[in-house]
Amino acid sequence: MTDQQKRTRNFSIIAHIDHGKSTLADRILEATQAVAKRDMEARLLDNMDLEKERGITIKARAVRLTYKTDDGEYYLNLIDTPGHVDFGYEVSRSLSACEGALLVVDATQGVEAQTLANAYLAIDNDLEIVPVINKIDLPSADVENCRKEIEDIIGIPADGCPAVSAKTGQNIEDVLKKIVSDIPAPKGDPAAPLKCLIFDSYYDSYLGVVVNVRVMDGTLRAGDRILLMSTGATFEVTEVGTMEPFGGLQKCEMLSAGDVGYLTASIKTVSETRVGDTVTSAERPTPEALPGFRPAQPMVFAGIYTPDGAKYPDLRDALEKLQLNDAALSYEPETSAALGFGFRCGFLGLLHMEIIEERLEREFGLDLITTAPGVIYKIEKRGGETVYVDNPANYPSPDEIDTAYEPFVKANIITPSDYLGGIMDLCKERRGVFLDMKYIDTTRVELHYVLPLNEIIYDFFDALKSRSKGYASLDYEFDEYRPSRLVKLDFLLNGEQVDALSFIVFEENAYTRARKITERLKENIPRQMFEIPIQAAIGTKVIARETVKAMRKDVLAKCYGGDITRKKKLLEKQKEGKKKMRKLGSVEVSPEAFMAVLKLDDE
Amino acid sequence: MNKGGLYFHIPFCLRKCNYCDFCSYTGVAEEQMRDYVRALICEMKHVAPRATALSFDTVFFGGGTPSLLPPELVGELLTAARDCFQIERDAEITLEANPASIDGGGLAALRALGVNRLSVGIQSTSDGELSALGRLHTGREALAFLRLAREAGFDNLNADLMYGIPYQSTESAKRTLDGVLSLAPEHISAYSLMLEEGTPLFAKKDVLPIPSEEEEDAIDTLVRTTLSEAGYLHYEISNYAKEGYPSRHNLHYWHSDPYLGFGVSAYSFFEGVRYGNTRELSRYLSSPTDAICDEEVLNESDLAYEWIMLRLRLREGIDLDAYRARFGIDLSLRYQKEIDRFCSMGLMRVSEGRLALTESGFRLSSGILVDFLDA
Repeated sequence: MTDQQKRTRNFSIIAHIDHGKSTLADRILEATQAVAKRDMEARLLDNMDLEKERGITIKARAVRLTYKTDDGEYYLNLIDTPGHVDFGYEVSRSLSACEGALLVVDATQGVEAQTLANAYLAIDNDLEIVPVINKIDLPSADVENCRKEIEDIIGIPADGCPAVSAKTGQNIEDVLKKIVSDIPAPKGDPAAPLKCLIFDSYYDSYLGVVVNVRVMDGTLRAGDRILLMSTGATFEVTEVGTMEPFGGLQKCEMLSAGDVGYLTASIKTVSETRVGDTVTSAERPTPEALPGFRPAQPMVFAGIYTPDGAKYPDLRDALEKLQLNDAALSYEPETSAALGFGFRCGFLGLLHMEIIEERLEREFGLDLITTAPGVIYKIEKRGGETVYVDNPANYPSPDEIDTAYEPFVKANIITPSDYLGGIMDLCKERRGVFLDMKYIDTTRVELHYVLPLNEIIYDFFDALKSRSKGYASLDYEFDEYRPSRLVKLDFLLNGEQVDALSFIVFEENAYTRARKITERLKENIPRQMFEIPIQAAIGTKVIARETVKAMRKDVLAKCYGGDITRKKKLLEKQKEGKKKMRKLGSVEVSPEAFMAVLKLDDE
Repeated sequence: MNKGGLYFHIPFCLRKCNYCDFCSYTGVAEEQMRDYVRALICEMKHVAPRATALSFDTVFFGGGTPSLLPPELVGELLTAARDCFQIERDAEITLEANPASIDGGGLAALRALGVNRLSVGIQSTSDGELSALGRLHTGREALAFLRLAREAGFDNLNADLMYGIPYQSTESAKRTLDGVLSLAPEHISAYSLMLEEGTPLFAKKDVLPIPSEEEEDAIDTLVRTTLSEAGYLHYEISNYAKEGYPSRHNLHYWHSDPYLGFGVSAYSFFEGVRYGNTRELSRYLSSPTDAICDEEVLNESDLAYEWIMLRLRLREGIDLDAYRARFGIDLSLRYQKEIDRFCSMGLMRVSEGRLALTESGFRLSSGILVDFLDA
């Protein structure tokens, strides 16, 4: 082991939501004098505004800190992790770049569902876990009970673990000492063939893609020819360095085994530098890639449109820009008779989708109409051909289908046992197949189910939260395609099918969903000059029906000399409102109404 | 040049009705009315030199309650108007009158002064409905007043009726219609009650039993069928008349003819400009020649649209050739898509070179007119 390695510690911070992960990160940065207190814009690691507002970390970031001790300087690489099930894969890659993790536990709350889920994830990645008890400044803090829970529930020693207040900065020095004493120095052979793990990358308009890597073996210098093992692409490294606080890049001569840093190599899109991929030397490649690589796989699909058709090019440019930084986002143009030109976009999950929508709206100032999210169905056709369908418009007609399959996921739910019954009912309603359950302690249960992904993206999170008062946590990963009885549900307004409303649904749920959507259409479509029948149909069979009655009559107002200007203004106002309307067939519907219909909340 | 109309706004009432947001003042003494008439004459004299090229075939006293004005003052106004403007010999001279505001002698005096059309605010003959509206007369008095007008020599009467009054039902509307028809007025106006913000009725709209949309619709159907059976022509969205008796004055508004309005809140349309006077009586009285507070200069496209918006209120509709001659636009080409659509829905018709709304179209005119507004 080199001296450099001996003086390096690579770690993450993991925690249940609101247990103070970001605040602790801030204090560590401060304590290592990386940032002067007065310059401290809270939560430096979370660069994006959206992250600040949501209190979640969307993309991983890393910083290198210098910790001065009597024993000399230590280099602490703090690798931040995203904190949501949609990004489970990114979390696991970030963790595998580390040797240890700080597990933050709120002294007033104790161990919570996500504390546990995160701890398991860290254990899976062979990390040394350093528990940190936080919020000891609060009157209701119970440090001893917290220690006991960490030992009993997670099963790791908590005796002598730091008890701190990230808010006031109390005992933060203990944490730094623990990082140095407890987290192992990185192993790896600087002389071996190069082997780096990509744990993040982002696009910079001057440098091209900046790839964040952890060097496992070997050394990396500017001018080296590198090989990305999953794609076989080669590049010449133009620059290597370390990530400093404030997102600054500090160029250096080389990175070697144990280091965390960045490389640039005139790479144009982040889709070429996939998280989890192995970077090696093109001249002297390592025989074996790092384990666990999986290409980012969109699992949830929806159509995204702009109410104003003229904004289509803006939407395209915006998606292009977002994709530079988000390899998991996919998009391709599609057209809808009802909504015009738009894109069929693929996302890791619902949260990822919401984040993209919000960024499009906020950062690019776009108004959006998003169709109901769906998954990819696998269809074996009668002729033996297999197709994958991510857009209801392309769903084959029933007589062409031999077997239809839908994606199932393995779901892991941790909940206080009080809500167990309600949650098991929910899983049952959502066609879940029970695998097993185990009591983590006397009050907490971990449930394993196999669930159709389609059910999860249909308001499952909300239902789970409402049935557990917000305490249950969920993570899931793709399991397999299973045969299913699926139908395509179409909606007709005034006898004309509205393509943007179609979706694929489990046969037995079709009627309920059809009823719900037709009712919502009825509520949201304003009366027009003619009666509008609303129908939900499977093929040619109508399974639900509502009617929007015709407008009755105007208020018969008089119109003499002094009334003319007022009347004209009224009509002009009506015209403005009408301009915003979308034509769905022969029926005019406002974008708001359309979105109300597509909204998923329904419990 | 087309003939035009003169309008006098008489803003005095015994009591303001609960639904009214017109410009009117109560408790005004006769001396002040005299001052007001003097101001009107002053305004007329001020405007007259600009309108020498125009001749007028209608005069309209609207309000307020013009029948509160002593007949001699009406006479003074008419004399002054004849001095200032070219008024045709057979001009239609209308005065709005409310039951209980003038007696038989007064009516006869008006008739003698040349007022040849009386427009009577009946609204309803149901006493409950009338009191909800805050009218100062009973149903019986309203009908008696119509009879009185006949006896005073008026052979051209209008009765104003209202839909959607609190407590109104199809039965009560039928009684009102029967009562009014028994006196066979030449003209009937029927409007929806408008709940205007700031009126006492608006404040009570949630507690009073106001007919639902469906009920009002049924009343509208009843009015239309009853009046059509009784020989009235539905010649404008909210106006019915026997053959030869449409309101010539109001037709000026719908034909985009010029009109000059005098008095508070009165509007004029003259030489492509529409302008209106202040609604403040004191301001008007102190400067009747400088009372304009609202002015809209209409360009060709405004005029072209207003032509459509106003003429489509009429059963006769738009003469397509005349429209092309006036604006250089072939309506049937420019709005071909809209016209085809509304025709196929039975809301419009094109026949004998005219584009018009059907009876069903009358009921949905706003939605139709919107589609004729250019983006």
